[in-house]
Amino acid sequence: MHDASVDAGAGAASTPWSSFAPGAVPSALAGIRVLDLSGLAGQYCGKQFADLGAEVILVEPVTGSPVRHDGPFLDDRVHIEYSLQFAYFNAGKRGIAIDLDRPEGQRILRQMAKGADLIIETEKPGTMSKRGLDHATLSASNPGLVMTSVTPFGQTGPYAQYEAEDLVALALGGLLYLGGYPDTSPIAAYGNQAYLAAAQFASVASMMALLSMDDGPERVGRHVDVSIQECVTMGLETAIQYYDLEKTVRKRASGQQIMAGVGVFECADGQIYLMAGGIASTRFWENLVRWLMDEGVEAAQRLLEPAWESHDYLAKPEAKAIFGELFAPFARKHKKTYLYQTGQSRRIPICPVNTPRDILTSRQLDYRGFFVAQDHTPSGRKLVVPGAPYRLDATPWRQTRPAPRLGEHTSEILAALGYGPAARAALLKSGVVN
Amino acid sequence: MNRLPLHGVRIADFTWIGAGSFTTKLLADHGADVIKIASRGRMDSLRSSRPYKDGISGINRSGYFADRNSSKRSIALNLKTDAGKELARRLIATSDVVANNFTPGTMEKFGLGYEAVRQIRKDIIYIAMSMQGAAGPEHKYLGYGLTMGALTGLQFLTGLPDREPAGTGTNFSDHIPNPCHAAFAILAALRHRRRTGEGQYIDVAQTEPTIALLGPTMADCSANNRIGERSGNERSPRAPHGVFRCLGEDRWIAISAWEDETWAALCTVLGDPPFARAPELASADGRWARRHEIEQGIAAITCHWDAEDLMSALQRAGVPAGLVRTAADIVDEDPQLRHRGHWVTLLHPEMGESIYNAPPFRIDGAPAIPSAPAPLLGQHTQEVLTEILGLSLSEVEALRREDVLT
Repeated sequence: MHDASVDAGAGAASTPWSSFAPGAVPSALAGIRVLDLSGLAGQYCGKQFADLGAEVILVEPVTGSPVRHDGPFLDDRVHIEYSLQFAYFNAGKRGIAIDLDRPEGQRILRQMAKGADLIIETEKPGTMSKRGLDHATLSASNPGLVMTSVTPFGQTGPYAQYEAEDLVALALGGLLYLGGYPDTSPIAAYGNQAYLAAAQFASVASMMALLSMDDGPERVGRHVDVSIQECVTMGLETAIQYYDLEKTVRKRASGQQIMAGVGVFECADGQIYLMAGGIASTRFWENLVRWLMDEGVEAAQRLLEPAWESHDYLAKPEAKAIFGELFAPFARKHKKTYLYQTGQSRRIPICPVNTPRDILTSRQLDYRGFFVAQDHTPSGRKLVVPGAPYRLDATPWRQTRPAPRLGEHTSEILAALGYGPAARAALLKSGVVN
Repeated sequence: MNRLPLHGVRIADFTWIGAGSFTTKLLADHGADVIKIASRGRMDSLRSSRPYKDGISGINRSGYFADRNSSKRSIALNLKTDAGKELARRLIATSDVVANNFTPGTMEKFGLGYEAVRQIRKDIIYIAMSMQGAAGPEHKYLGYGLTMGALTGLQFLTGLPDREPAGTGTNFSDHIPNPCHAAFAILAALRHRRRTGEGQYIDVAQTEPTIALLGPTMADCSANNRIGERSGNERSPRAPHGVFRCLGEDRWIAISAWEDETWAALCTVLGDPPFARAPELASADGRWARRHEIEQGIAAITCHWDAEDLMSALQRAGVPAGLVRTAADIVDEDPQLRHRGHWVTLLHPEMGESIYNAPPFRIDGAPAIPSAPAPLLGQHTQEVLTEILGLSLSEVEALRREDVLT
């Protein structure tokens, strides 16, 4: 991606970027230089770039990224170096802490931006511009620069200055209304899924902008405007189409069978999810009934009567009740693993409702070597965390370094930009960097 | 010159149902020439899934299928015939990417596994998105979006602690984690190929991206020995943080006001209620300790408010608050999505006008919107065979007579 003319803009003597020696195994994103200024709505994007070989520098406020204050914490120790959230989403990045509200800090970032391909940021619309760090300003001295801005509602529009957290974005994006039980309030998806949706779409959008820059002769860097609310609307499944095409408003419906044979059932050590009546019901229905009969639930024979071939019947409370009376006592007698493996061996879509521990001990994920050990420098411990979410055989996902301690690479990055020891000490002392 | 970012990239698209089709939609909406290969005998089951235009079923009337297949072309090829397989191979020879989300082994049955495809085109990018990956003790297990939610932990972790695990109410992995991860992997592979000329094989297990997003929870379990619990809308140590009833039928507002400033602003907007004046509530710790009491107090006031009015009042005061929008609200009422032009109306030959999601981001200077509605099954068969593969009309007719193009 970096041809000579672009590198010349950065100047070899004043680049914060390390020069990677080409290794034996190539990386898909080798040579892409990323400044990650983001919070929780962007840090997974920076991680995705880092894990496929981009050089990513996390730029934090001098007091540390807000994500450092978010739990869970290792050993429940509430400390900026013990946030597991921070440790996971920032693995693979180097780190510098700069006060971007001060002119000296802004100057440092402008220098760093000259050699960058991509900047990821999650400030409120207008903030980067007030600092003189918006895309228009930064791209003046680096025309190929892509800048991806992730905000709750986008850069402009009636809600652009609205405040939001994950829960609020889930609400205004429509996913919250679909979650929960009919007799309770709507219930939000676990795990900051609105923020993470935005970070994932930011990765896709940033790659598209970088690729199209690769392609065109004029190498125009783009500004990418990601709205968290809009990212949430991508996850509404059929809700929009039900409204648009059939004028039906989908509602939350958890805690009950969706139709007979589809839903959560209690078992001896937790729950299983059964999907024997869904999209391709007839293919699996008979397998399920045979299984029940072979296990001694002879009354299951009636589930083979013609009425059960009809989706309309499967959706009736009567059908759900009859099915529940036959299946639930059987499920309660057995453990998740037995139901999963035996059901699957009979070609029935059934699976455990996995807890995090079930996932950590899954034989399938173990076979794939999905979980990896990641160093946690401040404690000297190793964390077991998810590894490759995709396997690219020529350019594999890889682990390089643990998440940076606050300011861990401040000095080396400033040195690479040409700041001598005295200048670095002055910046530290005045609190422009940390 | 504002070509779309993926102009010139062709994808031979064997994906179906959820996650695969949504991946290639993202690429199609940004200019890739995505050619969906299917047959009547082995049809994408989303084509026969509700909702249908006007509630009338038909293989070209499903909204579920339509939204996931904008900007694509469709050719009908019977891959059980030798001639069908040969046409698929010829199309692959002109393609940059081959995508599928079948159970492992299915593409091999058509003679279109990775090794076979590499013989056709050495630098191909081949992405397989099976449920649990290409190999392993459970790689042939059956699964769909809903069972995947259960496998990934998202179902277990979402809902109330004393109730059945609720999940998101959707096949969440299908719509965001898997398409985004798969699209990112394809784009990264395209970059690598541009630089080196080398293609590659990409294996995405549809369980793994969602688990990757739950990394902190997995670390909490492995390092702190804690199994995450369902906690409804609570997010420790934040209080208040929840969803509160408003005036009207099933109307709610989400409020997060756990910081000192936003808590004070919330109290002002709610009229400085007596319950909120307790001195212990001045600190975040105190609010967390008494969160149930606080949330009851808030709910007793919000139920007299119109949700939209309350959102406006709270936002004016700087409090993160948003009404819980229904699908109808999102389409008809949301001024922000309208400002961004999120919903795009396209004219479909059989469904008439219906709405589609535009991408949820804007690339300045190269904004992309869906360029065409979902294709009818086989709508572009003749066009693709004549324009790309150079067949004559009489050759196409002969293939039709031999049941190759069904």
